[in-house]
Amino acid sequence: MYEPKIIGFLCNWCSYRGADTAGMARLKYPPNVKIIRVPCSGRISPELVLRTFREGADGVMVLGCHIGDCHYSNGNHRTAKRMPVLKKLLEYTGIDPNRLAVDWVSAAEGEKFANVITHFTEKISALPPFVETMK
Amino acid sequence: MTDRLLSLRQVIDRVIPQVDGVLAIKRGPGGIVAPFLFTKAQSDTLDQLAIWPKEPTPDTLKIIQHAHPEAKLAIVCRGCEERGIVEMFKHHQLVWDNITLIGLQCTQEEAEFCRCAKPYTVHASLIVGEPIKGVPDPLTEKIAAMSLEEKQAFWKDEFVHCIKCYGCRNICPQCFCNICALEDETWVETGRLPMPNPSMYHLIRAMHMTAKCVACRECEETCPAGIPMAVQFRLIARDVQEMFSYETGAVLDQKPPQLLVLEEGEYERTGLPH
Repeated sequence: MYEPKIIGFLCNWCSYRGADTAGMARLKYPPNVKIIRVPCSGRISPELVLRTFREGADGVMVLGCHIGDCHYSNGNHRTAKRMPVLKKLLEYTGIDPNRLAVDWVSAAEGEKFANVITHFTEKISALPPFVETMK
Repeated sequence: MTDRLLSLRQVIDRVIPQVDGVLAIKRGPGGIVAPFLFTKAQSDTLDQLAIWPKEPTPDTLKIIQHAHPEAKLAIVCRGCEERGIVEMFKHHQLVWDNITLIGLQCTQEEAEFCRCAKPYTVHASLIVGEPIKGVPDPLTEKIAAMSLEEKQAFWKDEFVHCIKCYGCRNICPQCFCNICALEDETWVETGRLPMPNPSMYHLIRAMHMTAKCVACRECEETCPAGIPMAVQFRLIARDVQEMFSYETGAVLDQKPPQLLVLEEGEYERTGLPH
């Protein structure tokens, strides 16, 4: 069994703090996710996600604040608009859209953070390595 | 001169005294056609007026308008070109008030050649020819019905022929950014052939065509490798219509969905968790 490489883009104000909460609560979750802190989930352009896949990531997570809770009032509306379209594009190009996950985790939801990471890692582990599917 | 060309000529003759120029297609020496601005002063050039093949006239219109912002222009446009003009207006590339649209309706053969779903104009006040219904698109249906592995193999096979001439971007009426992501080394490996899989160039272009592609298929026409890239744009356009109720070129004052704020009910349709 291979260890999937997963990149998680976490918004500074909610999801990254949520990861902190999970850590402080000593919650267990798989270590496959490499976390990158970004100012806002709206910062994540489709180019960035595609490049992450190109560099060999097996899965990409974009976590942000809940709709309505964004630190920049409507930055995550961008995420909510572009990521579903990107998922469709991945599907039409023959890449499993489940490799890209979008979810909302607030600073208080440490447990949800651990759950989201665990489920996503399980889902990606069941898929073959991304680089092999592109050969 | 065919009947259709004749009736187009009559409409142009009627319009030309009221405007500074009429943008249409002219047949030059050797039978090559190109966009041309017909004016009152040189009305004899109208003898060389042509209809087919279609040319990217909205792009030419933009260039002329930038040089002469006050000029009153008329343009002979098909359904796709009209949608292109509407979308360019929404993105502040054109001045709408100075343009007179002459709507040229496509024939059944032309529509089938383009696999066009909307071969008719909706905004044009002057109409040439009878509007016909859209034709089905067998290639898009075929690709949409494929499994993930089949799609992956199909597109890999197509993209491997790409020579990165950037012709599809250059001819696109909706590609007008001064700084293009496709020229950025961060995103696209410029000068590397064949391009690595998955192709960043085509995926980024498809993403940027979201809610912008007007399905004119100029990109497919111009592609020296014959890549059917408009299929991806068309599939995404269907999703955009489902999620954001947005159809390119349909309504003049409907804002494009790339704008920041989610409208009522849009979020539920995107399929994201609550």
